[in-house]
Amino acid sequence: MELTLKKRKKNTIIPGFTLTLGYTMLYLSIIVLLPLSMVFFNTLSMSWSEFWETIADPRAVASYKLSFGTALAAGIINVIFGTIIAWVLVRYQFPGKRIVDGLVDLPFALPTAVAGIALATLYSPNGWVGQFFDFKIAFTPLGIIIALTFIGLPFVVRTVQPVLQNLSSEIEEASASLGATRLQTFTKVIFPELLPAIITGFSLAFARSLGEYGSVVFIAGNMPMKTEITPLIIMTKLEQYDYVGATAIATVMLITSFVLLLLINIIQWYTNRKFNLK
Amino acid sequence: MTKPLEVEQETSLKVGNVATKSYALQESALVKWSLITISLIFLALFLILPLVSIFVTALEKGWATYVASIADPDALAAIKLTLTVVLIVVPLNAIFGIVAAWAITKFSFKGKNVLITLIDLPFAVSPVIAGLVFILLFGAQGLFGEWLFQNDIKIVFALPGIVIATMFVTFPFVARELIPLMQMQGITEEEASISLGASGWKTFFFVTLPNIKWGLLYGLILCNARTIGEFGAVSVVSGHIRGMTNTMPLHIEILYNEYQFTAAFAVASLMSILAIITIIIKNIIEWKAKDV
Amino acid sequence: MSIHIQKVSKTFGSFQALQDISIDIESGELIALLGPSGSGKTTLLRILAGLEGLDEGAILFDGQNITNVSPKERKVGFVFQHYALFRHMTVFDNVAYGLKVRPRKTRPSKEEISKKVTDLLALVKLDNFADRYPSQLSGGQRQRVALARALAVEPKVLLLDEPFGALDAKVRKELRRWLRKLHNEFHVTSIFVTHDQEEALDVANRIIVMNNGQIEQVGTPEEVYEHPNSPFVYDFLGNVNLFRGRLHKGKLTQGQFEIDVPTYLDSYDDAVGYVRPHDIQIEKEPLNNETVAAKIVHIHMVGPIVQIELKREDVDEYLEAEIPKEHYRELNINNGDTVYIRPKQLRVFIPEDFSI
Repeated sequence: MELTLKKRKKNTIIPGFTLTLGYTMLYLSIIVLLPLSMVFFNTLSMSWSEFWETIADPRAVASYKLSFGTALAAGIINVIFGTIIAWVLVRYQFPGKRIVDGLVDLPFALPTAVAGIALATLYSPNGWVGQFFDFKIAFTPLGIIIALTFIGLPFVVRTVQPVLQNLSSEIEEASASLGATRLQTFTKVIFPELLPAIITGFSLAFARSLGEYGSVVFIAGNMPMKTEITPLIIMTKLEQYDYVGATAIATVMLITSFVLLLLINIIQWYTNRKFNLK
Repeated sequence: MTKPLEVEQETSLKVGNVATKSYALQESALVKWSLITISLIFLALFLILPLVSIFVTALEKGWATYVASIADPDALAAIKLTLTVVLIVVPLNAIFGIVAAWAITKFSFKGKNVLITLIDLPFAVSPVIAGLVFILLFGAQGLFGEWLFQNDIKIVFALPGIVIATMFVTFPFVARELIPLMQMQGITEEEASISLGASGWKTFFFVTLPNIKWGLLYGLILCNARTIGEFGAVSVVSGHIRGMTNTMPLHIEILYNEYQFTAAFAVASLMSILAIITIIIKNIIEWKAKDV
Repeated sequence: MSIHIQKVSKTFGSFQALQDISIDIESGELIALLGPSGSGKTTLLRILAGLEGLDEGAILFDGQNITNVSPKERKVGFVFQHYALFRHMTVFDNVAYGLKVRPRKTRPSKEEISKKVTDLLALVKLDNFADRYPSQLSGGQRQRVALARALAVEPKVLLLDEPFGALDAKVRKELRRWLRKLHNEFHVTSIFVTHDQEEALDVANRIIVMNNGQIEQVGTPEEVYEHPNSPFVYDFLGNVNLFRGRLHKGKLTQGQFEIDVPTYLDSYDDAVGYVRPHDIQIEKEPLNNETVAAKIVHIHMVGPIVQIELKREDVDEYLEAEIPKEHYRELNINNGDTVYIRPKQLRVFIPEDFSI
């Protein structure tokens, strides 16, 4: 990830190019790039078999499955309800709408640990919500999904909302005057317009969910092989001073995240190019 | 022969769109209210109920217990530590955000998109890994561990570690608010200012800053909220030393794990109030920025 | 299909968009709704399409009241100002849309749809563009796709909102001619909105001039251009010279200028005479007291018509005259010359005509 910085200043009269770019690069390197490279640097000091043994350990593999599966489930829930909420907030008027709109940001503003203990208490077997179910929610993968749904909701709502707001009403009118029912207009005209935003929102929520720690640990129960998420494995290894093992798992997570990031960008680039979105 | 009629057609259309939502674009009342109900139930279950439960649990054993939980020396130390971290991290990231946005939006250079992606990178990294990397750098067995030990400098399990891990996690907030905003505003105003003889600093303070103030404030608010609440990264580097390296979220964790639920929720309620204030300020900013 | 618009009114908040509008449109007409922005013409068109509700009045299609019929059941083809093509669908799918969304019972088979779309694309000369996306087309091509899409559902009425507004001058002219041709072939009742008088005069066989939510005049292009019935229509359709003066005993006087207007026998202090530039007669010598001296300020000589800008010598006012090039050569006049002018035809409006 080397940056080639050829100065191609376009005869600008605005000062500060060298100073600001230099500072940006320096700060970025010290705070982000150098520390992150430590993960790969330390992984390189491991032998391949040692590395493989660590990351293919059944407990680790179970955690990948759990983290991936719960993040996926939470993402899908958020896509469905997040889109509905975005729709309701953009299209309808109802009392208390402004408060509801503001509330959607709560997961961004509320510390994850606070959310974690609140959700754990609510959904535990004798909690306000948990008591109504005759199966356990907290301390099972279901609890993890609830915590991740909480964390991921604003990502979907806040990416779909502006797209819906800027959607030209003409295309809906065109569809209606051509004889389409409201449902047909939604599925054939509106939904395809929203899809790129929905995918982006999903990916952002999913990526965040994969690495989420604070809100999950309290509600997960953290049983090895059952409700132990991948970030918790790293945490446990660190507490046991197993830095090498922690680093190996971290490498897997980092690579997964980066691939995901790349994928999002490719999807966005592709849709933008195909339909020439303005 | 043609009479120039430059009047824009748009006005008549706009009047129509603003006043009433067009006739053809409405669902039946049944669909509408079902969707609203679904949304509200979902939000109640996932957002409102947790929020309410925090305050109810915190005040369950009465006001006196609530106050005592917050006035506890360890709690006060945690609050103080969190404030210290905020006071260091938020200004540093704000300066970085402004500087980076200036470099990226006021000049054209190769690799700009790569740079923007790199600035966003911390968002894609699990907080636990964000903590881990600093253990690998500054921990006892880390890259600089030996050297730091010999010179008797403590980073990990001390304030500097907490600060730097938080900095990593909240790194992109200000920059990513400012970059699109300043990109949209372009450079003409700055060029005008400088061609009129103003210095770079004067141009920034009198031309750029007023234009970006709401965006900057928005970024600061988000950065601040995350700094206060960061848990995973701080949890790794802090060492959980009571009264010393426990931030508010870590203090809540300890209380919770010791089954001191009332105390845990008391501190949590304090943080929830901060979160609500954050949301209110955020909405005010959005509202103000729309007016501009 | 005939359309009857009966006493239609519409307000948006405090803004009166339409005020008691009544028009009868015969089957097969090609109508232009002409007016400045905010005159209510687009609102009227949208009400006809059912995209907007109305506050008062009724709309009848073929004698049937369809005021409360939803747009999807009105069988109206609507072409939007900015085309409103579905950008994630190919040209083919855009045109096929109206057929594909029909309920199964009335939906044509796949082959029928395909044939119909292909025919329509041939009609709009876009046969080779079926697989393209709207973003890959030029403005004129997009407009034609929008038209084909509206025609696919075999509408009984075709409504076009500023159909050529977003196109450049040359394409616009081409599409105008094409629209007229299309109308001659299909004879579907068509109404288009425009703020361009030339477009309305050129394409429509009847023009409805609108202003401030009301109808100013309805008539053939000749009628509205040659015999405007209000100062607004006079002003809106083509250039005009104003003679503001006193009306007394069948004479309009301004400065040294005096002209007989026998139809007006009342007295008014502020009447206005409207004269088209081509109705200004230019003489080298004074004829009688009907001519008035003016100085030539500028001569614009491109094309077969010569435009002459004049400044009157008795009052501080400018005039514009248009004369054929031949006549200009005969007159042999130059910049700075003093000439004598006289309105050949003049229409006087008294203050009451201005009060709306």
